[in-house]
Amino acid sequence: MPPAAQALQVEQHDDYFCCRFQAMASPCEILIETADRQLAGQLGQLARDEAVRIEHKFSRYRDDNIVHQINHSHGTMVEVDDETADLLDYAGFCYELSEGLFDISSGVLGQAWRFDGHTAVPDSASIKQLLCYIGWDKVNWSRPWLALNDGMQIDLGGIGKEYAVDRVAGLVQQQTDCSVLINFGGDLYSSRARQTGKGWHIGIEQPEYTQSNKPMLANKLLEISSGGLATSGDARRHIIKDGQRYGHILNPLTGWPVVGAPCSVSVAAASCTEAGILATLAMLQGEQAEAFLDTQQVPYWVVR
Amino acid sequence: MQLNKSKSIRQLLTAATSTLLAGTAQHVMAEEKIPWQVDSAFLYYAEKDRVTVLEPVAAVRKDLGDDEFIGVRLVFDSMSGASPNGAIPTDTAQTFTTPSGNSTFTTPAGETPLDDSYQDVRAALSGEWETPLDEHLKTVIGANYSTERDYSSVGLSANLAWDLNKRNTTLTTGISMSHDQVSAVGYIPVGLTAVPTQSGVQKSLQSMEESKDIKELLFGITQVIDPKTLLQFNITLADEQGYLTDPYKILSVLDNNGQLRANDPYIYEKRPDSRRRQAVYLKANHQFNTDVVQASYRYYQDDWGISSHTLNLHYRYELVGGRHYLQPHVRYYIQDKADFYHYSLQDNNIPTYASADYRLGDMSTTTLGLKYGLVLGEFHEFGARLESMKQQAEGDAPFPDNTAIIFQLNYSFLY
Repeated sequence: MPPAAQALQVEQHDDYFCCRFQAMASPCEILIETADRQLAGQLGQLARDEAVRIEHKFSRYRDDNIVHQINHSHGTMVEVDDETADLLDYAGFCYELSEGLFDISSGVLGQAWRFDGHTAVPDSASIKQLLCYIGWDKVNWSRPWLALNDGMQIDLGGIGKEYAVDRVAGLVQQQTDCSVLINFGGDLYSSRARQTGKGWHIGIEQPEYTQSNKPMLANKLLEISSGGLATSGDARRHIIKDGQRYGHILNPLTGWPVVGAPCSVSVAAASCTEAGILATLAMLQGEQAEAFLDTQQVPYWVVR
Repeated sequence: MQLNKSKSIRQLLTAATSTLLAGTAQHVMAEEKIPWQVDSAFLYYAEKDRVTVLEPVAAVRKDLGDDEFIGVRLVFDSMSGASPNGAIPTDTAQTFTTPSGNSTFTTPAGETPLDDSYQDVRAALSGEWETPLDEHLKTVIGANYSTERDYSSVGLSANLAWDLNKRNTTLTTGISMSHDQVSAVGYIPVGLTAVPTQSGVQKSLQSMEESKDIKELLFGITQVIDPKTLLQFNITLADEQGYLTDPYKILSVLDNNGQLRANDPYIYEKRPDSRRRQAVYLKANHQFNTDVVQASYRYYQDDWGISSHTLNLHYRYELVGGRHYLQPHVRYYIQDKADFYHYSLQDNNIPTYASADYRLGDMSTTTLGLKYGLVLGEFHEFGARLESMKQQAEGDAPFPDNTAIIFQLNYSFLY
């Protein structure tokens, strides 16, 4: 089935064009510092096509892609293409680097935890059971062949959006030298400083209950000239039980939400993908998020 | 524990990411912009047949980083129109001198006397500085000055806020002081002496200028109940000393037949020269999925005998798209009068203190309003608010209703 066409809106602003579309369950936009409507439209289309391609290829909510094939392989070997293999290599590397905290096989925990604000904390027995199906070390990965134990699943949602931002950035930069900002639901990348010598302005949302008195300053304002920026965390997704607030960041080693995790972590790095991994790993450090980021020596913004 | 926090993984990660992306990555340049927040507003307040106020407001607030802020606010008020002078309506026309004593005006029979020489421009400037003292303690220092033709005020305030319990509880304490200078047109009359009924007749003067001092203490607690619910409780205690009378307000004095007495039918009001007041305030904020409800209650009491209850309810209703909202507002205020409030006085029975200012009487105020807010882009916000207010007598003081329309436009942006 061909991908359903996603509407692309092109708007002209003072000194740039903004192209918007919906993909990967997020509002996506690409800002292009040009007065050339045709160029802007082309780049917008390019961005949308690539975002939609990546979503279709790696979404675990579809039944016609490689992820579906892997997740329904019941222990048999699956041969994957180069791009998928590159992502699996990368995910495996991040698993090693983070000593198991970043794990693309941890998605099955979603069967136990639902972060819709309702008081439903699963019992430890069911979580323990799920842990048998989690762990990249249990996977048989020998490029290009992958075999998962029956019952295991992979989910590339933790890097897919950031990867799409960087892929689009690569494609766009082959077409133009203009300053371009790619923003997929808050994960973003700027190709270069704008002609004024300044960057693009980005707001970081703060937890909403603090907003009642100072609605605007509650949003931090960042200026990004070049490189990637990714945010992990969502103040709106949580469970409260016995006065304890459970955030939606789950530790794949324990199956439980991380205690003391910030509301959100934003990190700037050379690419959006790298920024996303660092932001996720910082969330997983809980109370130690800032200390971890200080060690990495990256620009970061933590909202608690 | 798992990831040794003293170990940097960044170089390894950068190299691996660069392999994945085949070299898209580049030098990172991102920084936090620390903008000015600019708020501007224009308020129009019009009482039916009485006072009209035009009020432009401009405020800027600057984030200095590390949770330090400074802010400056400038307000202008332009007031014009008529205000009840305190005398009661009678069966015959009444003539009054204006406060300057240079002219007279006549109120037709059966109408509430309104002094329409009420006209003034006020300018107010205030500033504040907010700075953390340590991780859990911050202070806000403020100063304000306002001036108009017959009044000026200068004030200082200091507040401390202490975060406890993982910032779920905040204790606040504050002190503020102000010194006000009252210098009426036509000078300050002696309280309870006769109001001249003809222009050119001199009133008994107390002084050219009087002053009052106000000290206020505040204690508060703010508690996060859950991430969507906030409770706030405040107590304020205040002490006012000095000239608390309104030099323009008068009372009618009636004879035994219920008619204005023949000699000196009006006298100037006089209030005590001190007042102690207390108030408690409780506010709850709750956010539903996107809508926000805010309810508050205030109880006020002072040693003049006034007590009041205020109920306030706002509901912010998010419209489709999340970029604009409607906010209905209901406010109800009811007050028990001051001990020395009198609609009018009896000849030969003049008390030590007396005022016929309806704002000290048994009264209630009901306000209904609607605000529309529109978020324009990420850093611009526009709002329009329309409210109608009705003040009316409670109990037996038969002063007439006062109704007003309030319209406000506001625009805020980050610069």
